[in-house]
Amino acid sequence: MKALISILIFLTTTLVATAQNANDILKKMDEVLYAPKDMTAKTKIIITDKNGNEKTREAVMKQKGTDMRLFRFTAPASQAGIATLSLPNDVMYLYLPSYAKERRISSSVKSQKFAGTDFSYDDMEAKSYEDKYTAKLLKTEGDVYVLEMKPRSPKSQYSKLISKINKENYYPVYTEYYDKGNNKIKIATYVFEKIGNYWNPKEVTMTDLKKKHKTTMITYDVKYDTGLSDEDFSVRKLKQ
Amino acid sequence: MEWLSKNILKLRWPVIIIVTGLTLFFGYRAGKLTINSDLISSLPDDDPVAEMYKNIGKEFGGNDMGMVALETKNVFTTEVLQHVKQITDTLLVTPGILTVTSMTNIIDIRSEEWGIEISKLIDEYDLPDTPEELRKLRERVYSKEMYKGAIVSDDGTTTLIIYTTLDDADKQQTVITVKKKVKAMNLPEKLYFAGLPMMMNDVTGLIVSDLSKLIPLAFIVIAIVLFFSFRSVKGVVLPLLTASIAVIWTMGLMQVTGYEITMISNNIPIILFAVGSAYAIHVINRVNMCTEKDEKQKLVKALAYIIVPVFLAAATTMTGFISFVFGAYLKMIKDFGIFTAVGTFFSLLLSVTFVPALIRTFSLKKSSVTPVKDSMKNFITRNILKPVLIILNKHPRNILVVWISLIVLATGGFFLIKRSVNMQNYFRKDNPTRVAEDVMQRKFGGSQPVFVVFEGDMQSPYVLDLMNRTEQYMKKFPEISYTQSIADLIKQMNDVMGEGEKIPESKAKIQDLWFLLDGQDIMPQLVSDDLKKGIIQSRFKSYDSKKMKDFVSYMNKFISSNSNDKCKISLTGLPSVYVRMDRSLFNSQMSSLAIALVVVLIIVGLILHSFRLGVFATIPIISTISILFGFMGYAGIPLDVATVLVASVALGIGIDYSIHVITHFNHIHHNTGNISRAIEETILTSGKAIFINVLSVAAGFLVLLFSQMAPLQNFGLLVAISMIGSGLGALTLLPVVLLLQKQSLKPENKNSF
Repeated sequence: MKALISILIFLTTTLVATAQNANDILKKMDEVLYAPKDMTAKTKIIITDKNGNEKTREAVMKQKGTDMRLFRFTAPASQAGIATLSLPNDVMYLYLPSYAKERRISSSVKSQKFAGTDFSYDDMEAKSYEDKYTAKLLKTEGDVYVLEMKPRSPKSQYSKLISKINKENYYPVYTEYYDKGNNKIKIATYVFEKIGNYWNPKEVTMTDLKKKHKTTMITYDVKYDTGLSDEDFSVRKLKQ
Repeated sequence: MEWLSKNILKLRWPVIIIVTGLTLFFGYRAGKLTINSDLISSLPDDDPVAEMYKNIGKEFGGNDMGMVALETKNVFTTEVLQHVKQITDTLLVTPGILTVTSMTNIIDIRSEEWGIEISKLIDEYDLPDTPEELRKLRERVYSKEMYKGAIVSDDGTTTLIIYTTLDDADKQQTVITVKKKVKAMNLPEKLYFAGLPMMMNDVTGLIVSDLSKLIPLAFIVIAIVLFFSFRSVKGVVLPLLTASIAVIWTMGLMQVTGYEITMISNNIPIILFAVGSAYAIHVINRVNMCTEKDEKQKLVKALAYIIVPVFLAAATTMTGFISFVFGAYLKMIKDFGIFTAVGTFFSLLLSVTFVPALIRTFSLKKSSVTPVKDSMKNFITRNILKPVLIILNKHPRNILVVWISLIVLATGGFFLIKRSVNMQNYFRKDNPTRVAEDVMQRKFGGSQPVFVVFEGDMQSPYVLDLMNRTEQYMKKFPEISYTQSIADLIKQMNDVMGEGEKIPESKAKIQDLWFLLDGQDIMPQLVSDDLKKGIIQSRFKSYDSKKMKDFVSYMNKFISSNSNDKCKISLTGLPSVYVRMDRSLFNSQMSSLAIALVVVLIIVGLILHSFRLGVFATIPIISTISILFGFMGYAGIPLDVATVLVASVALGIGIDYSIHVITHFNHIHHNTGNISRAIEETILTSGKAIFINVLSVAAGFLVLLFSQMAPLQNFGLLVAISMIGSGLGALTLLPVVLLLQKQSLKPENKNSF
């Protein structure tokens, strides 16, 4: 009887899996990741170099929708007050408190690293996966779908990503990044937790395999749907 | 001695078995010997400048940089940019490569009215293809120091693709891959491959090619000399076998003790062939000379007679080699000294154990010697030794005059001797690495790294301003055209923030700007992680020792008046190291020669039971060395890491000829009391042996003329010349000295001439 049940479960899951279109999975992942209307959280960024030396930064983060995000660093003291504001259409503003003025930054170089971390601007971009990649389902294993994602833009620094996505809740748990020579260059791992109705990426670690360098971003004190307005993502607010 | 000889022969089987066993073992290990072509690893640990250079290179990765230079009429064309992109993209995904910087991927930060534009200098997906776009690109490149002369040459004909290798990558494998991949593209532009990893790879290639070509060549050349000298199988096989085994043991021992082959020690096999075969020759010669009927008795007697002289000959030669251990600056020269001495010892050991054991066991009799041998010896006697003897008897003072004039003439050459420490001279002019380095020098102000190290708070305006001022000062020196430091980046970012291209006056501003720079690929090449150390990276144009020396003192002047507790400044880099090496070259020459001379004098004094005779014995070789230095001066052969070895090596080997002559002369003079007979017999008998020995040793060293590395070619030539000189000296100058000295002691003998 037990055996029969497990066969049944196996069959149904396999059937479901094959029935799943890879791009549907991507869409669902986007829905999970960008479900909240807005979010306010604290972020701790731990950067570990190849010798194991750690540097820690802290920031307050605000996000609205998929394309408005404000980062304000609070620690270390030497960087407290520095803020970045990302707006739609690749518009970004930088605020350096000691200069007491903001500068608009237009960057077409997405492979540049974000603030000394192992995340590139490309990785940090709050743009939906579906817009950026086309997906192919490679296989299902255990409780994850294994997707191969190819960037839609030829300008991407990657040739492909291989991602493992939780079958039940559609959040990513593991991603490999490949360069254009098909060498695996980076690995991201994710830990998600459920807060209210949403899944929060509590801990994301990006490892640069070449440099043996890694960055862990921990998100805590998360508040969802507090009704942030567009005004909260204005240049005026950036300077405060 | 007879007891020892008897025992050696009694134990012939164990000797043969042990030698065979050791040869198999060392042969196996020698096969695993690795090559170390890293010039920097050979710099001494106890010299602070060299030490710092090594550390800075490691810490800031400057030594792992490679460059592909692409030369054409004009790099500002779509086609060339397309090719640069092709190379860049290929290198970016090549295993072992960390970063790639070229025109097609370098970041361009501009300050616009509305803000900061961060983009690539060129949009690699939409390369400039109209004359207008290309003109703008050219203008942009020439407007920024970051590009002009750094990534595109001033004349716009050459552009660089610069790459750094991963720490744990096999650097040589990486550069081979780079070269292979880029060459496979079959691009129409001229391509050059430069940088230290490439140079190291090239040196490895030269070492391998030298080893595989020169060892067989030395083998053949010495075999030919031996054949014409002895005309017997034994006379050819045994010395070559001994030398080969000594080479195998030495190379095997190097591997076992954790040493590697370097660009100096790769000539150890050649030297051992030339030097090591001589001892077996002595032993065989002696055996042939003995007249005993009983083979065993004959061997015992010959061996008992020859052990001491051969040992002493080896001892002086070893002294010549060992003398480098105390004087040399580079570690690879010390290693060379140790292992050639060890190899010489092995040759000696084998000659007095293995050779007689083989002769005894396999009954290698004299029978194979043909009469042709005598005709050869007669030839030497008739055409060389006899005429020498006639001159000696008729015009002894003339010989003295000739030698003295040669020496006086040579002294003029002393002052013309140049010193060269530049590793580039290791390559022949047509060598691809040298050609590439020449292009780097002409187009990009050289590739010899210069580092100015600053220790202090790298975020303080004071330190950054000091760095900035140092750079301004450096650039006033004609051989410096390019500098880069964190201060430059901070200045540029400050400009981008709208406050001008200068170091901000507050630390807070610097820290803010740092936020933008943090994590950039360039940062670890300029500042240490803990922000306590930073460097100015620069390149030195010239290979001229004088200019290097001037630069070091020019910089030291600035450093001594600006370095303080808040910021310690120090200078290192190849010019600094070369200046140290240059200074040490002369010292090392003098100290190794002095050590060799003193030890040889002691050994010879002991052999001859007279310090005075010891001094006489060194006269021919010292005269030869003086003439040699003069020759180097006139011929323009510089004193360099290889030629610095010549004098002591020549002393160690060349002294043997004098010992032969004095011993023989004394023996006969003592027995007969007749000076002229003593001279005649000495010249005719010892002369032959000396002539053959000079011939075989010189021939062996001359094989180095076919080396791929210029200093080794010079080394071979100079040692060969010294061998001929010291042989000639022993046969002409020394007898005259002995003659005149005896005459002055006993004036009544004068009439007998």
